[in-house]
Amino acid sequence: MPKWTVPYTALSEEATILKKDYLAAFEKVLLSGRYILGPEVSAFEQEFAEYCQAPFVLGVATGTDALFLVLRSLGLQDGDEVITAPNSFIASASSIALAGAKPVFVDIRSDGNMEPALLEKSITPRTKAIMPVHLTGRPASMPAIIDIAKKYKLFVVEDAAQAVGASLNGKRVGCWGDAACFSLHPLKNLRAIGDGGIITTKHQWLYDRLKQARNHGLVNREQCDFWSYNSRLDELQAALLRVQFRHLDTQTEQRRQLALRYNELLRPYVIVPDEGPGEYCVYQTYVVLAEDRDELKKYLNDNGVEALIHYAMPIHLQPAAKYLSYSSTDFPQTMQHVSRILSLPIYPSLTHEQQDHVVTLISGFFKKRA
Amino acid sequence: MKVPYNYLPMQFSEVEGIIADWNKLVQSTEFTLGPFVERFEKEFAEFIGCKHVISTNTGTDALILALKALGVGPGDEVISVPITFFATIGAIVAVGARPVFVDIDDRYQMDINHIQKAITPRTKAILPVHWAGASPDMQAIMTIAEDLGLKVVEDACMAPGGDIHGKHPGTFGHANAWSMHPLKPLNVMGDGGMVSTNDDDIADWMRMYRNHGMIDRDHNSIWGVNMRLQPLQAIVASHVLKTVSNTVEIRNKNAHILDEGLKKLADCIKVPSRPAGYRDTFSLYMARFKKRDALMKYLVGREIEAKIHYPIPLHLQKAAESLGYKRGDFPLSEQYAEEIMTLPVHQYLTTGQISYMIQNIKTFYSKQ
Repeated sequence: MPKWTVPYTALSEEATILKKDYLAAFEKVLLSGRYILGPEVSAFEQEFAEYCQAPFVLGVATGTDALFLVLRSLGLQDGDEVITAPNSFIASASSIALAGAKPVFVDIRSDGNMEPALLEKSITPRTKAIMPVHLTGRPASMPAIIDIAKKYKLFVVEDAAQAVGASLNGKRVGCWGDAACFSLHPLKNLRAIGDGGIITTKHQWLYDRLKQARNHGLVNREQCDFWSYNSRLDELQAALLRVQFRHLDTQTEQRRQLALRYNELLRPYVIVPDEGPGEYCVYQTYVVLAEDRDELKKYLNDNGVEALIHYAMPIHLQPAAKYLSYSSTDFPQTMQHVSRILSLPIYPSLTHEQQDHVVTLISGFFKKRA
Repeated sequence: MKVPYNYLPMQFSEVEGIIADWNKLVQSTEFTLGPFVERFEKEFAEFIGCKHVISTNTGTDALILALKALGVGPGDEVISVPITFFATIGAIVAVGARPVFVDIDDRYQMDINHIQKAITPRTKAILPVHWAGASPDMQAIMTIAEDLGLKVVEDACMAPGGDIHGKHPGTFGHANAWSMHPLKPLNVMGDGGMVSTNDDDIADWMRMYRNHGMIDRDHNSIWGVNMRLQPLQAIVASHVLKTVSNTVEIRNKNAHILDEGLKKLADCIKVPSRPAGYRDTFSLYMARFKKRDALMKYLVGREIEAKIHYPIPLHLQKAAESLGYKRGDFPLSEQYAEEIMTLPVHQYLTTGQISYMIQNIKTFYSKQ
């Protein structure tokens, strides 16, 4: 392992700051003897509902499970189609496939999110839902997507895995669609010390179904209405999440300040992720578009900066998606995007000094080539 | 005197070791799989005497993963029992297969004499359950399966620390599922599970499928899922694993005292036979009681936390409606569901508490 001057994450440092509170939360759960769906999960769900202004909220085991359980609970049949973006994490599409439906991809805009103008021509009689992804913590164009969904009577499931706290026109992600799915994975802005996921929905019926679906389909200890899964948010993780949740808004602001600073310093060299009108981005990843991306990445890595690519191979070209018969010419904007994206380190404890180091390397790289 | 069912606050009253490891985990930031998970998988594989252990997020996930890995899917039938936890059957349905029930024997285990007649050309696997931590006749089940070319998945969720003629439960079948739910002999502080197998290819496939079907960070060969064991829980599991043999031993001692006490009321209570060569784990202590519901009410009124696992057999659940079973199909399962009761047997009971349980049961029947 190379020792990074600017590592991609600082999870350990950030956990250390909250260590005292984490340990207290840990011990409280430990000694309570309530380890499954106890008071911490309920309290976290309630806090999250208030935060997202969503009427119904349910914690589950992972972000992937959140997507999968929501899609299954919408009553998808084999052969139904769900439209999503091809440049996301694999779970956006695998959850569709595992719920029994067919993932259908549409191309993206220059900002990396689903292009609503392309949706209509992908809609077929089998289309049941649209799943926009708020990639990198930037809200997708929800008003346009929801208009189309209404016109064709489709469900909208927000893949908000990377976007807790992001908003569009003053309205937070998680309360636009019929349901939204958040990941609480360690690399997310709101994170567990392990896996976790949370679902928001505006429908009582969906909430009722999901509440049973995450716990074996049980009505109570003795009665089972439908065979289902075990996908519960850990009580322990809920307690740890509540600790960090108190700091989320401050940390999001810190991320945004760092992003704005990056934007100004890097603008001469790369395409920076400026916010669009009405957007409030939370920068789960800070992604620039760069010429000679692979060389730049290597140059940064060689010089102690842990730059990464999210994600190097689009989903429609993965071996797992082969049966869907997409080709590398299907989504030109996605392909162009994928060849240029580069994720730079961004986290609340990133110092200006570290940031300047990244900027100096990038400017040096391009000046040398000019 | 209180006789609680839940012993977790006592079990986790000494947690320095867990917290120390947890501290190391936070420093390491290996929050997804990683060394603590691998360490536990190795330890458990050694403990049960099996080549591979693949940990999962839950026991339910373990059952699903095992069935999927053995190629069980739509159109297949899987033979199991109606007296088990919901997840046994939920997992069969989750992979798209059809559950086929066979009745249980007087030890609440799959009755091997009923297996043959449940087999059809679509039967793909047998899923016996080590119910309550006792064991079905695994040798006989393996022989039937091998003769017919069927796969076997043991539901060993309650069986860590058990023994069948020198062999650990969960090492007979082709891929076997375990749970570490808080009220199991090997427990974590939340959910956790694992699959054990001796087959290298199946093990590789399971490791890939449980982590999004990833070959590496950039490539996905199949649509996979996220059913990873939390490292935080793997740490707890490693610590608890050291105590499992001792826990099972104490539970056996407690069960023996209960057995002896209850056998004196043979007219009212049927204690299951305990054949030689089997070490049960007593994940649950179950017997059959006359006037069960009245007795249970009486005991609960005296702060003895008795439970029923479970009053409705699975073939009669609403979830099973589409399978077309009816009352009368599995006479013993149905009869036992009305008679069984579970008494606390955990490793923190005092002899006073055990005597108190026996005494109250005696008093109940003497008043009848």
